[in-house]
Amino acid sequence: MIVPRLLNWFDERLGAASFAKKSLRKVFPDHWSFMLGEVAMYSFIILVVTGTFLSFFYVPDVRQVIYHGPYKPLDGQPMSAAYASVLRISFEVRAGLVFRQIHHWAALVMTGAVVFHAIRVFFTGAFRKPREINWVLGVVLLLLTIGIGFAGYSLPDDLLSGTGLRIGYSIALSTPVVGTWLAFLVFGGEYPAPDILNRLFVLHVMILPALIAGVMGAHLAIIWRQKHTNFPARDLTNDRIRGPRLWPRYAFASVGLFFVLFGVLALLGGTAQINPIWIYGPYHPITASGASQPDWYMGFTEGAVRLFPGWEIRLFGHEIPEPFFPGALLPGVIFGGMLLWPWIERLFTKDTLEHNLLQHPRDVPWRTAVGAATITFLGVLTIAGASDVLASSVDISVEAMTAILRWVAIVLPAVALFVTYYLCRELRSGDIHPVKESKITTVRRSKTGGFDTTEEEGGGFESVEERLGL
Amino acid sequence: MSGERARRAGSASRGRRAAGFALLFAAFMVPAGLAILAGTGSASAGAPPVTRLDAQTALEAAGQVLYEEHCASCHGATGEGTAQGPVILDLGPAAYDFMMSTGRMPLAQPGAQAVRKPPTLTPAEIEAITAYLVTLSPGSGTPIPNVQPLLGNLSEGEQIYQLNCAPCHGANGNGGAVGVQAAPSLHKATPTQIGEAVRIGPGTMPVFDQTVISDQQLNSLARYVLYLRHPANPGGISLHLGGPVVEGFVGLVIGLGAVVLVMRFIGERS
Amino acid sequence: MSDLSETTPQAPGTPPSTRGPDEARVSRLMMLLLLLAILAGVGLLVLYALGGQVQLEGILLFILLTGIGFAFILWGKYLFPTEIVTEDRGERPSPESDRVGAEQAYVEGESQITRRSALVRMLLGAFGALGLAAIFPIRSLGPSPGRALFRTSWRAGLRAVDEAGNPVLASDLVVGSVLTVFPEGHVDSTDSVAILVRVDPAQLSLPDGRDVDAPDGNVCYSKLCTHAGCPVGLYLAEFHQLQCPCHFSAFDVLDGAQPVFGPAARPLPQLPLEVDQEGYLVAKSDFTAPVGPGFWNRGDGP
Repeated sequence: MIVPRLLNWFDERLGAASFAKKSLRKVFPDHWSFMLGEVAMYSFIILVVTGTFLSFFYVPDVRQVIYHGPYKPLDGQPMSAAYASVLRISFEVRAGLVFRQIHHWAALVMTGAVVFHAIRVFFTGAFRKPREINWVLGVVLLLLTIGIGFAGYSLPDDLLSGTGLRIGYSIALSTPVVGTWLAFLVFGGEYPAPDILNRLFVLHVMILPALIAGVMGAHLAIIWRQKHTNFPARDLTNDRIRGPRLWPRYAFASVGLFFVLFGVLALLGGTAQINPIWIYGPYHPITASGASQPDWYMGFTEGAVRLFPGWEIRLFGHEIPEPFFPGALLPGVIFGGMLLWPWIERLFTKDTLEHNLLQHPRDVPWRTAVGAATITFLGVLTIAGASDVLASSVDISVEAMTAILRWVAIVLPAVALFVTYYLCRELRSGDIHPVKESKITTVRRSKTGGFDTTEEEGGGFESVEERLGL
Repeated sequence: MSGERARRAGSASRGRRAAGFALLFAAFMVPAGLAILAGTGSASAGAPPVTRLDAQTALEAAGQVLYEEHCASCHGATGEGTAQGPVILDLGPAAYDFMMSTGRMPLAQPGAQAVRKPPTLTPAEIEAITAYLVTLSPGSGTPIPNVQPLLGNLSEGEQIYQLNCAPCHGANGNGGAVGVQAAPSLHKATPTQIGEAVRIGPGTMPVFDQTVISDQQLNSLARYVLYLRHPANPGGISLHLGGPVVEGFVGLVIGLGAVVLVMRFIGERS
Repeated sequence: MSDLSETTPQAPGTPPSTRGPDEARVSRLMMLLLLLAILAGVGLLVLYALGGQVQLEGILLFILLTGIGFAFILWGKYLFPTEIVTEDRGERPSPESDRVGAEQAYVEGESQITRRSALVRMLLGAFGALGLAAIFPIRSLGPSPGRALFRTSWRAGLRAVDEAGNPVLASDLVVGSVLTVFPEGHVDSTDSVAILVRVDPAQLSLPDGRDVDAPDGNVCYSKLCTHAGCPVGLYLAEFHQLQCPCHFSAFDVLDGAQPVFGPAARPLPQLPLEVDQEGYLVAKSDFTAPVGPGFWNRGDGP
């Protein structure tokens, strides 16, 4: 009784009933891989909830205080107020440590979900028209997520994250022409610039969450408007959508997923220790620990910076120092390529049709191969970020491990490229595929009366109207 | 101070050992013969006579026997070194005790990096060999430090550790790769061994003498190193304090993996 | 946009031939999960009142949250009469009339604007000025780099001190020892941090005749790696190499800290030392080059 009356109340004021009707009956394809994006979104919500709690105790100040809290190995030591506040959260605030650990585990899971979601979208071709906008928004979200994660784990000002922040400063410094200004303005002066912690805090709790929420909102609104894609199926055409309705089934399942995710993160947050900053000690720029690595999603930059040789460009009293190439140029190229991918692909496929049916990766061998090679490259770089840990675990020198990884970073992606391509072709030729077509020939009549034919490979069923571009 | 060390790892075959002994014997006989002929002391040759007389105690005598059995083939009959092992004269008892009590010496193979392993020599044997070696160059080298962790200050130890030790041994004390070698894990070291290592700088480790780390600071440092064996882990399973590498693995494989399984349960799986 | 939908009643995720577990069993399982969730919630309240414990907090939260979560999931999956719907997407480009209408609506206004080209240009100019003015608060974010990157706090005559402020005698370190040093009175100056290494003077072969700047084998270099600025804290005494723990650049101490491995491209700047009358180590000048990682105009010189 309550809900219909509420609905009427809103409808009299907002005319909401027709929207409510459409929404509740909306069709939601529910292949499990479509839920990765939801997991990213729900992780974000969990991060905001736990993060808000933490922000009530965290102090973004580098001014030195003397610690006299319960953790004895640091008793009497000078440290930043920020670091001391995180010690307080960890050792003195009730539910502080569990919320802090849930927050950090959630960050690792969120970036993982975003990455795997992007991989799913890429390999199934869901970024093609009309979804290019959402692809771009998605890559932006990936960048924002990585950025907010980096800002977040740098806030405790411990020896491990402080070392990473120092490297970030040096990469900014290495930018040609504007590098010194960039570093001095962003950080607030020569390193260790004290303003940076407060700025990272503002970025981490205000600017970046607002941007993520806004871009995510647009991302969702576009999905809502365009409707989700479908995997190809028997008698499912490009202009039809198939799945359960939002209400009640999908809504319940989705809400359930949120709570289960939260539960898993809570279990990790309570039972699996993460980022024990008291072991690393407070950050002092004059020392650093061996076996220092960033959080996993920054690993590819760490690996790039370790593997790239000491090549610098020096001309006429100016130089482009080495960290610029692996630290700024390489990520720039990779993320730029990701952003532009729908149009890069269109250069080769000349495909301007609208696609609401996904592709099986094997049906697009060359795209799948390029994706596999890129993921392999980034994977090798991520592993290379822990080159010293790897070297000591297999008992060889860092020098040898670096040399090996340099070759692997070049050779393995090339191998992945060819192997994946031929694997796709093999799978296609041998498989019983519900919508396999070897070639589709389209005959088009041009405006001037001539005919031309185009052939395409594979793909799903599409209506005649779609193929003719009507 | 650490001397030259043979880079090439070779296997000590019986033939080479015999040849080594023959060489050593000749090396002593020649200057000894010269000394007798010239009527001068042993100063010109630099090699003291192999056998001592009644100045040796029983412990030192036992040590000499053990030394000749386990060590002389690489380190020379009187610690002056061979192609396979560096000079160990003048190092002092701290070095001898450290190397033997951590099992680094005797080496399994000459030339390999000495790593901790279960010692093949008993504490009594170690004491004996140490006593003997000290007699070869009395008064020189580093004495065995008297490390009292309980007199140390835990927080002071933490500060010293982060500045001097963490770069190679890691903030967690697990050790790590250091160029062509590896800084070992510290979790099995006794307080004395910690002190000895700090004072002698074994292998490629630098030396930290009293002007850098005073004796009281050494107590504090040892106390903190011992703490790292069982540090406070209020957050739960410590994952060996493995850091972001392990955490990333757990977060993605276990955390996200569990969620993916739930997703597959919820959704369509075709 | 007709709503032609077909309905296929089936339990999702399972082949059509099998049915899921019957509703009674599912709802019993859900009751159990929700009961455990309630108990866990109550348990959490008690736990917090008693002071909390990290592992129990996590486990109880897990039971509470996944209990609720699986209840929702099971309900959604098994207890609703599920239907798989196929319907029109209904999304086409808008009808031609709308497109033309939109274009016309815009053009009507636009023509009024573009007519007054002079005004438009002035307006754009004003916006440009606004944009430039808005950028300038960014200038307030930090100081001008100036010469800051070219100088540290080291000056001729300043004694080298350790972290506690104690001056260092030339005889303090033994060969194979290292010490982190600062200029006296500037122990908190990060860019001045230096590492003092004692080596056998006979083995030194510093470039540019700088052997004289390393009295008795006390050679001092900037501790900031010339790659990305991490402190170069690893000293491999046997190989006379300083190594950086971040990306493993290695510098040869005997040869002017030339990089011998890793991504560093420039040697560590040396701090020239001499011994004063009391035997303390004293700087002869600032470092021989700008310290730390490289930057665009580093070649300008101090």
